[in-house]
Amino acid sequence: MPVETDAIALTPASGQQPSAERPLLVARHVSRHFEGVRAVEDVSIDVLPGRITGLIGPNGAGKSTFLAVLAGTLPASSGEITFDGEDVTALPAFRRARRGLVRTFQLPSEFAQLTVLENLLAAAPDNRGDSLLGAILGKRYWKADEDRLVEQARVLLDRFRMSAKESDYASSLSGGQKRLVEIMRALMLRPRLLLLDEPMSGVHPSIVGEIADYCEALRDDGLTILMVEHELHMIERMCNPVIVMAQGRVIGQGTMAALRQQREIVDAYLVG
Amino acid sequence: MTYYLTTILVYAAVDILACLAISLQFGVSGIVNFSFIIFQAAGAYTAGVLSLPSDTENGGFQTYILGLHLSFPLPWIGATLVGALLAIPIGLVALRRLRSDYQAIAMLVLSVIASLVVTNTPAFLDGAAGLSLVPQPLSDKFNPYSEGYLWAYTAGALVLAVIVFFIAQRVINSPYGRSLRAMRENEMAANALGKNAVALKMTVFILGGAIAGLSGAILIGFITTWAPSTWLYPETLILFAAVIVGGRGNNFGAVLGALLVPVGFEEATRYLPPIGPPGLIPALEWVCIGGLILGFLWFRPRGVLPERRRVFAARRTAVAGGELHAGRD
Repeated sequence: MPVETDAIALTPASGQQPSAERPLLVARHVSRHFEGVRAVEDVSIDVLPGRITGLIGPNGAGKSTFLAVLAGTLPASSGEITFDGEDVTALPAFRRARRGLVRTFQLPSEFAQLTVLENLLAAAPDNRGDSLLGAILGKRYWKADEDRLVEQARVLLDRFRMSAKESDYASSLSGGQKRLVEIMRALMLRPRLLLLDEPMSGVHPSIVGEIADYCEALRDDGLTILMVEHELHMIERMCNPVIVMAQGRVIGQGTMAALRQQREIVDAYLVG
Repeated sequence: MTYYLTTILVYAAVDILACLAISLQFGVSGIVNFSFIIFQAAGAYTAGVLSLPSDTENGGFQTYILGLHLSFPLPWIGATLVGALLAIPIGLVALRRLRSDYQAIAMLVLSVIASLVVTNTPAFLDGAAGLSLVPQPLSDKFNPYSEGYLWAYTAGALVLAVIVFFIAQRVINSPYGRSLRAMRENEMAANALGKNAVALKMTVFILGGAIAGLSGAILIGFITTWAPSTWLYPETLILFAAVIVGGRGNNFGAVLGALLVPVGFEEATRYLPPIGPPGLIPALEWVCIGGLILGFLWFRPRGVLPERRRVFAARRTAVAGGELHAGRD
């Protein structure tokens, strides 16, 4: 079904659009080892702006680990990560998120005992009440920010047709709804690059298509997405380029149609 | 009777302060601070050595550092500051790198170590004997044994508890409190959304330390003595039991828990007839406290007054399309 693409709150913050030619994110020779296990080994990729880049590969290929390293959830063992021209390799996850490099998780990571609306508000930056001093100064000090962010969150809830669930605890949602909450929560930060880790995993088939629609709508609004996913028909529909990983390394890159012609990749992952 | 009532009420104020601090740290933020009692002890000792004159002036029967003989309210302010400052090194060690279960173990061990250190270094805070004859606030101007003084002290302690309650209310109902709860629910996700979890934990840990320090100052100002036997690590468990019973993350629950467990439960056992060998009743008290924790965690894990759901005021204008997913499960 078509998805409305109201530009409010979905597009990156104004003035932060990267050049169409320059990659938004550059990873060079990135490795991540766990006590001898080379989960990610010498991976170099470019993520071009305004596109949905797919990251596929068999289980254990290192995709989610690589995504975590890009987001700063895991530090890189070696290599360099540049985001919009800035070296972010040494930055912790929260600083990368504040720069617009925001991720979601493979497993549901909703704030279970917060309502859906609170989940979105918890991610929102620029609230004067989001500090101990601001909290002690009282509601008058931060109410204007809060009202603005509630409105912003409700626009997103409307867009993702989740308004009816606004006051429900996130723990009470279905798997698909939790995925949508995670995506909306990330969008509250006005990201420039959204890293989605298997957003369709464990989701009812009827919602898989909706999530794909939302992702394409976000891309059309100018958001750049790097997506790990196993639903290959959705990857083929949405993603260009597609990067293939196996055993911690990148083994191919291109359109899905082109990748299907490469025997090494077909043998490693695309069998059947 | 006046002394009995005022004692109960001052203890109630102290326990309310302690439970509010634990509720902020544990209930709202998920920090299992099993060393909480050492922050209260630090506040009490600080207020003591700031109020007492030099240890040579009392005939030298007790030894301690400082002995600055400062006037009220400086000892209480000092106690609050020391509680907050003590949280910085402990928080930086325990909260930055350790997972929450290891944090709890580290805090518990720290509590035991602190007690042993103070007990075995008599020159520091008079060792196992502890401080005594601590001057009560404004006792140079008023008779501390008069009924008026006792009631005024009680009123002051309760007013401070009310002030801290309102501060705690502002904290948990603010966006900052929401960030604390988000961190409690999923620290990694909160980090990935731009929240500095270490800073969040440190600020609430310092706030809790300050409240604990103040509670210690109030208590030593009333009972005028303080020794390691009053702040053994199981005291922390009583306060945790209170917060679990009352309701984690709900300040009203923390107050209710403080009144039910450390005040009500312990006071009620005084009236039990003496049975069995000496020490049986106090030992059974601990069994009951443990049973209370297990029972509530099993049957009512969110306590008598659970953390409330935050529902925001309805929008001024309805937006079309918002109901399309209402039936989706």
